[in-house]
Amino acid sequence: MPIELTDIARLAQILERSGVDKIEIEEPGLSLKLVVDTGPRMAASSTLAAPAPDHSVIAKTDVAGQFLAAHPWRDKPFVAPGQRIETGAIVGLVRIGLLYAPIVAPAAGTVDAVIAEPGATVGYGTPIVRIRPLDASSPIN
Amino acid sequence: MIEILSVTGPASVQDLGRFDQYRFGVGTSGAMDDVALRAGNIVLGNDENAAGIEIPMLPFKLRFDRDMAFALTGADVEAEIAGRAIPPWWRSHARTGDILTVKAMPRGARLYLTFGGGIDVPMVLGSRSTQFRGEFGGWHGRPLQPGDILPCAASIATIGDLGVEPAEITLARPNAAADETIVRVVIAGEHDRFDATTQALFWSSSWKITPQSNRYGYRLQGPAVKPKAPIEKRSHGIVPGVIQIPPNGQPIIQMRDAQTSGGYPKIATVIRADLWRVGQARLGRKLRFEQTAYAEALAAEAEMSAYLDRLRTNVRLIAEIRTCR
Repeated sequence: MPIELTDIARLAQILERSGVDKIEIEEPGLSLKLVVDTGPRMAASSTLAAPAPDHSVIAKTDVAGQFLAAHPWRDKPFVAPGQRIETGAIVGLVRIGLLYAPIVAPAAGTVDAVIAEPGATVGYGTPIVRIRPLDASSPIN
Repeated sequence: MIEILSVTGPASVQDLGRFDQYRFGVGTSGAMDDVALRAGNIVLGNDENAAGIEIPMLPFKLRFDRDMAFALTGADVEAEIAGRAIPPWWRSHARTGDILTVKAMPRGARLYLTFGGGIDVPMVLGSRSTQFRGEFGGWHGRPLQPGDILPCAASIATIGDLGVEPAEITLARPNAAADETIVRVVIAGEHDRFDATTQALFWSSSWKITPQSNRYGYRLQGPAVKPKAPIEKRSHGIVPGVIQIPPNGQPIIQMRDAQTSGGYPKIATVIRADLWRVGQARLGRKLRFEQTAYAEALAAEAEMSAYLDRLRTNVRLIAEIRTCR
């Protein structure tokens, strides 16, 4: 039986919840190994170099699948650097089987960069878009 | 409840259709793109036969009078809910008072708007579809008008935004051109009464969809296709998808609101698995007919069912993943 991306996503979720860090499945013509990355995430090099506080917020995936920057029917991506967006705006999609789960902006602001590569396989919590929030850029504080 | 604020052209309440009354001369009605209606209902967790609104022209605007999940499927659209843009083939959630505005249809011919629980109009002769010819079913048997307030069945589900891969992408035909829809057909009763040259003309021509095309039927324009000798037939039973050749040699494809009988010679019939592609082909677009065998027509139908089956499974899985968290 072929394993679909949706099955892998579900397995990954089960592993994460149950605290198991590895699973290997072998069948004729198929082998699958999932390893949960429990180590600390590597910080982006810019934050390592610059001690200045980073106010940017990150739109992340909440499901595993394939990252789509644009709807397959559209040429134009959901967001581009410099674009003003509102809280909850769709910044990309995660294709999972026949479904497209939205990746949404956690805060209103300006798009700094689209971090993920279009078409890339993404996991749960993968950073997709960096946003400079409106409040942080305000000079009043 | 939902209130229609603005509507252009004959938008109507449709479910999958009325199939038990055909022998009494009552046509099927039902969604012109049944795959889109099913997909909308699947992603909402509705019965697949739940009634939605079929919208052939824009702009269209409505207000939600209570919190409710809804989905847009079918044609590609530029749409907004409460000022927020929503992509095509999309499920979202509206709050009381939210206004849904659909401005443009860059691709396809019909948009389906489905609601959590479905539109709760009475079943008439086994269906909620609007029967335009008989003026019954749907919303008082007529197209929707501004001010209409449609009741929706209760739905407990509070579900988040989610997109569906359009059927046109999953079920794409290998040789599809951007400006032409290829439709598979099986030959029909009077096919052999046309000579080989005329038959070849029918297969090789690009048929333009004229403005005299609607839910009743599509009138096509192209080279005249005429039988070897004039054919006079008594009216006999026909079904949606039948391609008739009237005396002027310009084909007519019978669609969902077609009469149940007719007397024109039939050259071919659009297979059921491709009827939705005709429903999504807009005025002015070109159609080309591809001859197929009965077994292939069944295989095409199985492929369409497989898409819907997979969609059902995927929707269940993603609901599971989200509740797990």
